[in-house]
Amino acid sequence: MNNNPYLPWLATIEEIRVEVTGDRPVKTFKLAFQDEKLQKDFSYLPGQCVMVSLFGVGECFFAISSSPTQKGYVEVSVIKLGKVTSALHECELGDVLGVRGPYGNTFDVDGWRGKNIVFIGGGIGQAPLRSLINYVVNNRKKYGKLDVIYGARASQDLCFKKELSELEKREDVNVHLSIDVGENGWKKFVGFVPDNLLRVKPSPKNTVAVTCGPPIMIEFVIHNLLKLGFTEEQIFTTLEMRMKCGIGKCGRCNIGNLYVCKDGPVFSYKQLKNIQGER
Amino acid sequence: MVNIDKLRKTVRETVAREDIKYVVGYEKGTYGFQVSPCFAFTPEDADKFIFSPLCVNNLVVYPMLEEKLPLPKGEKEDTRKIGIIVKGCDSKAAVQIIQERGMKREHVVLIGVPCTGVIDPRKIRAKFPHQMKNVEVKEEEKFVFTIDGTTHKVPKEELMFDKCKHCENPTPVLYDVLVGDEIESTKKEDYETVKAFEKKPLREKWDHWRKQFDRCIRCYACRNVCPMCYCKKCMVDQLSPQWVRRSVNLSENTVWNIMRAYHLAGRCIGCGECERACPMGIPLTDLNKKIQRDVKEMFNYSPGLNVQEKALLVAFNPQDPEEFIL
Amino acid sequence: MLAEYQVFGPVHDDGVTLFRQIKDPSELDLQFSNSSMPPKALLLRQTETLFKFRLGRTVKIDRVNLPDDRTVIFGIRPCDARSLTILDQVFKGEYEDPYYLAKRKNTVLVGLSCTRPEVNCFCTSLNDGPASAENMDVLFTDIGEKYYVEVKSDKGKHLIAGMKGLLTSAKEENEKKKKEVERKAVASITRSMNIEGLVNTLDNMFENPFWQTIAMKCLGCGVCTYLCPTCHCFDIQDETTVTKGARVCVWDSCMYPEYTSQASGYNPRPGRMNRVRNRVYHKFNYFPKNLDVTACVGCGRCIDNCPVNVDIVDVVTRAQEVKV
Repeated sequence: MNNNPYLPWLATIEEIRVEVTGDRPVKTFKLAFQDEKLQKDFSYLPGQCVMVSLFGVGECFFAISSSPTQKGYVEVSVIKLGKVTSALHECELGDVLGVRGPYGNTFDVDGWRGKNIVFIGGGIGQAPLRSLINYVVNNRKKYGKLDVIYGARASQDLCFKKELSELEKREDVNVHLSIDVGENGWKKFVGFVPDNLLRVKPSPKNTVAVTCGPPIMIEFVIHNLLKLGFTEEQIFTTLEMRMKCGIGKCGRCNIGNLYVCKDGPVFSYKQLKNIQGER
Repeated sequence: MVNIDKLRKTVRETVAREDIKYVVGYEKGTYGFQVSPCFAFTPEDADKFIFSPLCVNNLVVYPMLEEKLPLPKGEKEDTRKIGIIVKGCDSKAAVQIIQERGMKREHVVLIGVPCTGVIDPRKIRAKFPHQMKNVEVKEEEKFVFTIDGTTHKVPKEELMFDKCKHCENPTPVLYDVLVGDEIESTKKEDYETVKAFEKKPLREKWDHWRKQFDRCIRCYACRNVCPMCYCKKCMVDQLSPQWVRRSVNLSENTVWNIMRAYHLAGRCIGCGECERACPMGIPLTDLNKKIQRDVKEMFNYSPGLNVQEKALLVAFNPQDPEEFIL
Repeated sequence: MLAEYQVFGPVHDDGVTLFRQIKDPSELDLQFSNSSMPPKALLLRQTETLFKFRLGRTVKIDRVNLPDDRTVIFGIRPCDARSLTILDQVFKGEYEDPYYLAKRKNTVLVGLSCTRPEVNCFCTSLNDGPASAENMDVLFTDIGEKYYVEVKSDKGKHLIAGMKGLLTSAKEENEKKKKEVERKAVASITRSMNIEGLVNTLDNMFENPFWQTIAMKCLGCGVCTYLCPTCHCFDIQDETTVTKGARVCVWDSCMYPEYTSQASGYNPRPGRMNRVRNRVYHKFNYFPKNLDVTACVGCGRCIDNCPVNVDIVDVVTRAQEVKV
């Protein structure tokens, strides 16, 4: 259908999972393409994103939070924040949305084979990491030690609780959860994610660190990773900017001379250090 | 003519004050007849300042452009005062903003400059096209230019802005310091052009404006140049709900221009910056003048004259006309 | 030409020259220096409908037909023709923008050399010239009683084929005259900008307080971006009535604060300084790094129309003088 990169494919909402309730609700939407051939052929790798359209409201760029090993559909985890995301939260099962993509670069899942991986996520930033975590876990033998460090403001803000508790049960994955402020009944670490990282103290030897979360958290996480001995090439993050076209033409999402939609959203810390631009 | 040395001395003294952040005035532009806004942070910077009939900008737009940006740790916001060079019309903008509580009177130090009229850049560029080197203008009975060794004397009426021909306030209405002597007001605004246009048949009026709004490219230069347009979020930038679509067509352009004129009802002081900034040459002051005239007739109110007065749309007077209330 | 193509040419309208569709050659105003709105507005429309849709129990997308009218832009200046070559690079690439490219494919550029460049022109500083035929399909140069016509492409050849009766082969003396006209025009351009080493200079001064000084007088009005022939930033919005609507692509400007503001309230370019700096870097640093070309053609429209005299030539020259 698409010689025209602005035309979305139609997809139906097959499932809505409420991850977080309260002031900052998060829902995960499972979207299945209406076109059956597309359901089979649509392929992507962790880190990539899609533009989801709510016809009549607008479009938003979301990281695909499902793993490509789960075929036939795409999942996006959405926090209710602005015009489009609020309208999206009002959607029901069976509603038709538009999807175009996949856009952006990927996590280097082939290059990281045999390595240990540390995933450091905060809040809704866990969404792109989830895609990567599930992919890696589904190909468990190809990777080394896996550490998932994830935290949120409060226990109600933690996303993917069910999946995380499944992961905790596994012996070949270490999960370290945290919340910023203590609560009754919370027995795990209390504090900010970068501090939890220092406590877990992953070894930089043959390891890659991937982080995503609020900008201030990323800053401190990178600072601590460097302190722990990680080099700039070992640290990766995925960034977000306001986006409209998703294909590097409208000019809005640039950080320096790189476009987040086209040259990102996955960047190594080495790349980020060298480009001048606001982020 | 304003004594430049006196002006610079005043600016120097003002900038040297501890409670002043900077003074904004005019300096020579980069080519031809251009004049540029200039900021003095130190007394030495004052030597760049000039004042001539080419100084058209309304500098009162700058205190309203102050941004509240995230500051590095430990740094406090600089809330010091701003000094502004103001002509008659500019000072009315300052008065109007103070009336509306848009800014505090104590936040600005107004350096008033009496003005007998400024030159319309479009008119002078049409008269002396292709002028690259900076040209000085002297104001005698006529405007005197020396270009490439030749002196030209041009009658003021030929080059002045139309607004200056009906200026009722050559001396700034509000100032902390006046550089020069007060000039007596001899001209009167009689709204002749508004009255002449009103007499035209409806079809002709609509066709005229339709042609003009068709040319609008929605660049919003008129809005940004206007000192009275200082809403933190302009109506056209709102997305939920979206009042004006971003499409550029006659319908949306008409909404934009007419709504902006209405938002300026009782507030527009007629500096004409909007028309000067418009890259398509749309006669925006005609719209604003019409509303200005109506406001004067209905409410006997002229914006920007008296700081103590209440702004038009926040004051209720039982004598206000009520013909439209059923 | 009018019989076979849609012709757009410079038309004088109440003090302003614009490229409009003409039905008769008498409408043309060939005494103009350059138009207010750049010809990019003919290919990258201010409002472009991407597709329409109908809402209801399900959604139906209706594609719009891509334009296929054969068009001629007559009287386009060499700087503007060069800007279209630059825009081509943006809209091609890994993903191709079909709307712009369809129009571009069907458009023939018939240019007119500048015999009297304007005060603020500086195309010669950017590897271009007032009589350069490089990015044209056909170029007309006024050499006195005649026009010297250069045909540069197949599109141009096809167009000229229909005019065989009006043209004769050029002689050597005609070519000499053209070169003389060109030389005079180049000599009359007084402004210059040195772009050699500019990318490096800018690399070393991103955090310099120089940008704060430059940006203080900027009002963020956006006129420079709208009139710039190489600026191409756009916004995509849905416009609907209850049951149907369209997704449109409209011009946007990086000088507006809302350009990059995110739903969370965070804005990576919160101040005018950030936006002015980003604009200068985008044209003179990011574009050369990504596509090996400076995204400025030296037309001078931004300098002519900025209400507060932010002069790009002055900014770049002063930037190069800053001691780091």
